[in-house]
Amino acid sequence: MDGIAVLISAGIFILVFLAISFHLLHETAATLLGAVAVLLVTYIGGHYNPDLRLLTFDDAMMVVDWNVIFLIMGMMIFMSILDETNVFKWLAFRLYSVAKGNAWIIALSLILLTGITSAFLNDVTAILMLVPLSIQMASAIGLNPMVIVIPEVLASNIGGAATLIGDPPSTIVGSHIGISFSDYLVNMAPVAIICMIALLVVHWFQYRKDYGDATRKVSKTLTDQLASDAKIGDYVSLRKALVVALFTFVGFFVADIFDQMPVGVVALSGAAFLTVWVKPDMHRMIREVNWTTLLFFIGLFIVVGGMEATGAIEWLASQVILLAGDSLHRAAVLITWVAGIASGIVANIPFTIAALPVADYLTANIPGGTESRIIYWALILGADFGGNATYLGSAPNIVAVGLLAQAGFRLSFSRFVRDGVPVTVLTLIIATIYLLIRY
Amino acid sequence: MSLILCATRGGEASYRTQQAAIALAKEHGDEIVFLYIIDLSFLNKTAAPIVVNIENELDQMGRFFLLMAKERASEQGVEVRTITRNGIVQEEIINAVIEEGATLVVLGRPAGEQSAFQTSSLQAFADEIKRVTEAETILV
Repeated sequence: MDGIAVLISAGIFILVFLAISFHLLHETAATLLGAVAVLLVTYIGGHYNPDLRLLTFDDAMMVVDWNVIFLIMGMMIFMSILDETNVFKWLAFRLYSVAKGNAWIIALSLILLTGITSAFLNDVTAILMLVPLSIQMASAIGLNPMVIVIPEVLASNIGGAATLIGDPPSTIVGSHIGISFSDYLVNMAPVAIICMIALLVVHWFQYRKDYGDATRKVSKTLTDQLASDAKIGDYVSLRKALVVALFTFVGFFVADIFDQMPVGVVALSGAAFLTVWVKPDMHRMIREVNWTTLLFFIGLFIVVGGMEATGAIEWLASQVILLAGDSLHRAAVLITWVAGIASGIVANIPFTIAALPVADYLTANIPGGTESRIIYWALILGADFGGNATYLGSAPNIVAVGLLAQAGFRLSFSRFVRDGVPVTVLTLIIATIYLLIRY
Repeated sequence: MSLILCATRGGEASYRTQQAAIALAKEHGDEIVFLYIIDLSFLNKTAAPIVVNIENELDQMGRFFLLMAKERASEQGVEVRTITRNGIVQEEIINAVIEEGATLVVLGRPAGEQSAFQTSSLQAFADEIKRVTEAETILV
């Protein structure tokens, strides 16, 4: 480990991290700039001073987790076809109709639907699909939309922790340790379900008066408008998408049998079959693959890879181990809460990628770590649940704030914190107890 | 008969603005156009995968809010037209004033958490509307 290389690689990471967390640059621009900085320092700086060789291009390609990239790409194709069928809005409207104007039942249905959709698609997609409709429903019945949207956001982050594909930190950590979809589900779904119940209980106590006051009768014209917007778009595509979705999810569960096939391969296979069967406009489909997301992850892996190669992360991990000692449980509690607090203040995706080598180091050096994988679970739960504390923590929060602003509701930082922090603290306590009892 | 353009979203603060526009129209026998603007610039803050047709989702949400405004006006015996536009809010309000030939613009003042504008910038924007389109602006 060379001092100057450590300083430069850590400096690049910190600048990227700050630019992302405080929106000084677009997230993708920040990580690409960071990745380019790592490579330019390596080649131009390294030409004059060999100590500045942070990460070669070949090594940079090796540090990118292509399983994560292909999983996200596959799910994006899948989601864009599924979105066109309008099935989630249709489902939300069915639930709204069944509730017969009861504000609490409408909210409960939407919050749960958002949590479940986040677990099986992706948290941001769930928010984009369901929040605009939730805002309309809340406005129609005379309820402040924030009362439904804030818990929907919290539910998306909690629900996303239940599966390997729900929240980005879950995908990143799960892919890194090579865990199967079913193993992940068995370990993380129980705590996600408990935390979802806790969210609903807290939410009921916070807002029961608002629900009681929301008694506005919705006119037939408005109800017809909601129904019209929530119609199934294309039944044929829907049937095909549901069949492929079923096979893909079965594939996620059984992939491990086939030489531990990565979930990225399963997602990409599902997307490929779906594009062949549904025959969407391929040019449009390729445009809809969000390349900014993929480049964001590639850039971030390279920036963190630079820090790892220079030994900066190993140094950081050794400091954490000094605090934790030889106690796996103490280390797990430390990681849960540090990840939780950090994810509330700064973006949880770069935090998770940077913390992964630290988790590797702790797992390898504390007795029992490899068998239980508790440090990785702690990192997932801390990063996923911690993202609920403020709207800076995770992408669904930022997107929901934008959607509310479009509806004329400015969700302030303090308002989000007022609802987010109690749920974050409670879910982190539940996560800590779960980890200590189960592992 | 003149034309009043009222830029609106959802929420109680918008209802107050809509109500002011409706009252003015009733008083002077003017026509009202309610305008909703879809501004997707907030998505530039994140690299999250945006695979949902969010423009369509927000267009539906906007049309829903406009329908609510239309119902409110209709209850008071005022018939209104509604339009949605896509782009930066300030630019699109000015474009709509020009295209619709509006002579009066009604905008809502910031009300707590529920406004698209900051108080300080709102008067400057009203001046800009006057300079570019000659339409007067009322801040409610």
